[in-house]
Amino acid sequence: MAAKPAQPGAPHLQLQGEGLALARRLPLLFAAARLVAASVMHGLHGRRRAGNGESFWQFRQHAPGESAQRIDWRRSARDDRLYVREREWEAAQDVWLWVDRSPSMNFSSAKALQSKGDRALVLGFAAAELLVSAGERVGLIDGAPPRAARDMVSRIALAMTHQDQATGAAEWPRAGSLPPRAQALLFTDGLIPAAALCAGLERLAGRGARGHVLLIADPVEESFPFSGQTVLLDTDSPARLRAGEAQDLRASYQARLLEHRAKINATALKLGWSCALHRTDQPAAAALMALAGRMAAMERM
Amino acid sequence: MPALGFIFPGVLLALLGLPLLWWLLRATPPRPREMTFPPLKLILDLQARRQTPLHTPWWLLALRLAVAGLAIIAMAGPQLNPPPATTTARGPLLVLIDSGWPAATDWERRIATATALLRSAALAGRPAAFSDFEAARLPQLAPAARVLGAVQALEPVPYAPDHRALLPALRRFLAASPASEVVWIADGTALGHADSFARALAGMTKPHVMVTGHEPRGLAGASNGPDGLSASIIGMPADKGRGVVVARDAKGRQLAKAAFSLSAGSPARATFDLPLELRNEVARIDIAGEASAGAVHLTDGRLARRRVGIVNGEASDVSEPLLSPSYFLRRALAPFAEVRESHGLDPIADLLAQKVTMLVLADVGQTSPGDHAALQAFVRKGGVLVRFAGLNMAGSSDDLLPVRIRTGDRVLGAALSWERPKHIAAPAPQSPLAGLKVGADIVVRRQVLAEPEPGLTARTWVSLKDGTPLVTAARRGNGELILVHVSADPSWSNLPLSAFFVDMLRRFTGLAAASGADATPVNGPPSLQPRLTLDGFGALGLPPATARPIPAKGTTLADATHPPGLYGPQGSDVALNALGKDAQIRPLDFAAAGLRPEHFMLTPPVDLRPLALLAALLMFLADALATLWLAGGLGRRQARQGAAAMVALVALGLTLSLAAPGHGKGISQKDLDSALNTRLAYVITGSAKIDRTSRLGLKALSRELDERTALDPGTPVGLNPASDDLSFYPLLYWPIRAQAPQPSAATVLRIAAYMKHGGTIVFDTRDALYARPGGPPTPQALWLRHLLSGVDVPPLEQVPADHVVTKTFFLINRFVGRYANGATWIEALPPPTGKRVDRPARAGDGVSPLIITSNDLAGAWAMDSNDEPLYPTVPGGDNQREMAFRGGINLVMYTLTGNYKADQVHVHDLLQRLSH
Repeated sequence: MAAKPAQPGAPHLQLQGEGLALARRLPLLFAAARLVAASVMHGLHGRRRAGNGESFWQFRQHAPGESAQRIDWRRSARDDRLYVREREWEAAQDVWLWVDRSPSMNFSSAKALQSKGDRALVLGFAAAELLVSAGERVGLIDGAPPRAARDMVSRIALAMTHQDQATGAAEWPRAGSLPPRAQALLFTDGLIPAAALCAGLERLAGRGARGHVLLIADPVEESFPFSGQTVLLDTDSPARLRAGEAQDLRASYQARLLEHRAKINATALKLGWSCALHRTDQPAAAALMALAGRMAAMERM
Repeated sequence: MPALGFIFPGVLLALLGLPLLWWLLRATPPRPREMTFPPLKLILDLQARRQTPLHTPWWLLALRLAVAGLAIIAMAGPQLNPPPATTTARGPLLVLIDSGWPAATDWERRIATATALLRSAALAGRPAAFSDFEAARLPQLAPAARVLGAVQALEPVPYAPDHRALLPALRRFLAASPASEVVWIADGTALGHADSFARALAGMTKPHVMVTGHEPRGLAGASNGPDGLSASIIGMPADKGRGVVVARDAKGRQLAKAAFSLSAGSPARATFDLPLELRNEVARIDIAGEASAGAVHLTDGRLARRRVGIVNGEASDVSEPLLSPSYFLRRALAPFAEVRESHGLDPIADLLAQKVTMLVLADVGQTSPGDHAALQAFVRKGGVLVRFAGLNMAGSSDDLLPVRIRTGDRVLGAALSWERPKHIAAPAPQSPLAGLKVGADIVVRRQVLAEPEPGLTARTWVSLKDGTPLVTAARRGNGELILVHVSADPSWSNLPLSAFFVDMLRRFTGLAAASGADATPVNGPPSLQPRLTLDGFGALGLPPATARPIPAKGTTLADATHPPGLYGPQGSDVALNALGKDAQIRPLDFAAAGLRPEHFMLTPPVDLRPLALLAALLMFLADALATLWLAGGLGRRQARQGAAAMVALVALGLTLSLAAPGHGKGISQKDLDSALNTRLAYVITGSAKIDRTSRLGLKALSRELDERTALDPGTPVGLNPASDDLSFYPLLYWPIRAQAPQPSAATVLRIAAYMKHGGTIVFDTRDALYARPGGPPTPQALWLRHLLSGVDVPPLEQVPADHVVTKTFFLINRFVGRYANGATWIEALPPPTGKRVDRPARAGDGVSPLIITSNDLAGAWAMDSNDEPLYPTVPGGDNQREMAFRGGINLVMYTLTGNYKADQVHVHDLLQRLSH
């Protein structure tokens, strides 16, 4: 029952082809990601938290025992009290991205706006763009170490291309546990056995790294709209299911799906990670905004 | 209630195989659709559940069974209203068709029945033969399809062929092929010895006899009595119906109608209420609704002509012509009789030789012995001799008088008399003059007196108030001797100045006709050549090659060599009618012959095979679509393509069915072009062939116009009268297609407006080849009638020789097209005014709004791209095509110039007037 990766033809050529296909899609995806990022950027205002950044955050009254150097004399001269100028907290953080590029991610039903894979890439690039512009260091799990470079998005893309050409699209990061205090952003459809997925999560969080899992689903995968005589084909394996009356399967499938997601969710919560669901028939910006909100919330914790 | 039948009912047994098909179809469900589904792993272990659907969906199964069933039914050859004789017989089919005149009225149905029979025979591969009882036509076995063609070309004959003539040939035929099935489509009458034929036929084989319910009626003569023209109508004894007879003049125009009602056994009489003047015009009488030669009575001179001779006994007084008796007689008789006078040495013999029916002797006392004998013979044979008194008669008279006359006359109211001039009493009630109004102002001053003798009162038709006979009459042989006791000039009385004089003479003339004076030429040719003969439908036409002359004397019965019609030279022709004076229509007693007639169907059979196959095909397509859909084959892409294809199909259908371009706002380019350059236009009929012919024909005509005339028309344009503006086109060529839908009421209004505002439409029914003049109207003619029923159509006439349209550019006689025999009708011109009879051309005010022809003008004009004629002409020849072009040019010139050519005849006069 476990999905075996389908690899017909010469492996090397196939991998190169996958990398090329990705590279071919990248410019469009970049553009889409930039649009998404730009629309989200309007909604984000700093880290909403005092810190050792450069931009002004707030004045507050000088507390006794505080260093006098921190007193803002210009403000304090306007009344009898002493004020301290606080700057916004701008700690550079390591954010590790990972985008699932397994064959199941290429699925796109009639109701979806784009395939799950494309949506995951768009979200990943947009998140990288946002994070880089916010001064964070972004890297790619299994690919590129985190850097605060302005062109980090293209570096990540290049790394993905290389990855795909070299090793093929993986269903889960191969890396071991992430460094502590790092944040991980995992974009996947989560369609590997729940046990494997939970084990993978625990491995990544082994050293106390925290992160966010965004489960990307096609609307068809939620609603199971099939009826009548249907043959269902798997994407990652030659497995097929012949259903005489497909509508009979709907209830049991949906129960299984809920169970699967519940397992992932429980593991993520246990590790202090967040886990959210995004459907490809919804706009990418909303998912990114929600993701940004969760990231901010996690920092505040 | 339309019945359903099958040509091959045995094929229907295959329907029993449908349950097997049901089982097979259930066992093979449609192919499942394949769907990619990434989370499949989650449910992969659920495989054990049902893999195949229980059944093919029931509706799909039903659809497929219906397809199979329809295919089987189609193979069985379903027919609506099947021909009743379609039996399972395998032998040859012999169709006997009664083709005498009683069959003509519902001839189409008879031929349709025979066609249906032969068609089913052709389908079943049976040989067939036919005979229509024409003497020379013996049944010959041939493939049914070939016989079909011959049968469809059959026409009824205008007499009743002798059925017995066929018996020997029939006997031989049945001996040669004893398995034959014989179908006799009978007319139900015993005419032509059909009864003995029926008995003989029943003895030979077991025929199917088919009859229509139609009961033929015939005209057994007409007579012209003093009270009017009456026709005698005979029918079947069971026929108690009513009907109408119509009297027509030589041009076929209806003069009068009369109703009749048949009663058992005896002929019905219908009397036309016609003034005497019009009675002379009656050339034929026919029964309305009966299109057969038997329902037509042609009249000839014997009925119509009333030649009256006038002999004046006075010395011909040229000095005072207005006082001569012959002047008054002539004026009184001229309106309703052909008046002859003779100025020869022996006027009586002269006039008798001219075969007068009534002879008026005004003041003739004595006649020569020869004349006396001739007059006696004349009266005995039915002539009417009217004598007026006068000085000569008062002196001495012969015995050709109804009463004996006293010598001398009686003078009333003279200077030496006590008596006053006498008034006239009303005519005797039993006399032919009964009912005539006598003016109170008529006075008789002088008269001759009858000798009192027994029987004088009976012989007196009119007397004076005091009882003195004024008009006396006596019957001699078939004729009448009439004496008017006053002179025919006003010297004796003012009777000749009164209306009573005219009425009285009119009655006398009627007597002459009723007494049946024989107007056959005494010393004419011994035989009369056929001039015009009736066909089976009762339409006059040129005699067939088999027609032979009839003897001038005696009575001839109509038969194959003497078809009914008009014989002899024009003007003194003799009518031979299909039915003699004492003809009867006896029904054929089928029961006596041991036959059982079947009524054949009222509607022709409808072959339902194409319909069933089409339905099967459509359902098959639906099945294919459903299967595709079930298999998920109609994915997003395919669905879109399918939808596009459907839209294209629907759009195509809409385009085909509506084919009407939207009525655009403003002025279209077409209208602009037409407004700037005169061009010919034709009406689009919807048939590609006809429209192409119209376009190419008008194109060729436009070129000819350009080459020969000052007119340079633009490219012809096809119009839809429902949507296009017609006002730019002076001439609209409209070929009639009987299958085309009738234009809407709004369109008819547009057409009427176009015609009212100066446009001319040339309607071309294109049916001259097969239209029978006087016969039933063709579908095209019916279509045109229906179209024009909503339009004010002016009275039409066939284009007369002096109509300006024959002179507008070329001098032509008539308008020919592909066919040359059709007539061309145009708005009737006002009758020619007497003073300008020598004018070569006449025209009304303006241009005729419509011209109707049946000659297929465009068919003659049309040239293909190599300048080769598209169609041959009938009867053919380059000359005909040239005349067709000339006619077309004349038509165009007529619509463009109107009556200009007619006015041009004044140029001479105008120039002369200007020079003074």
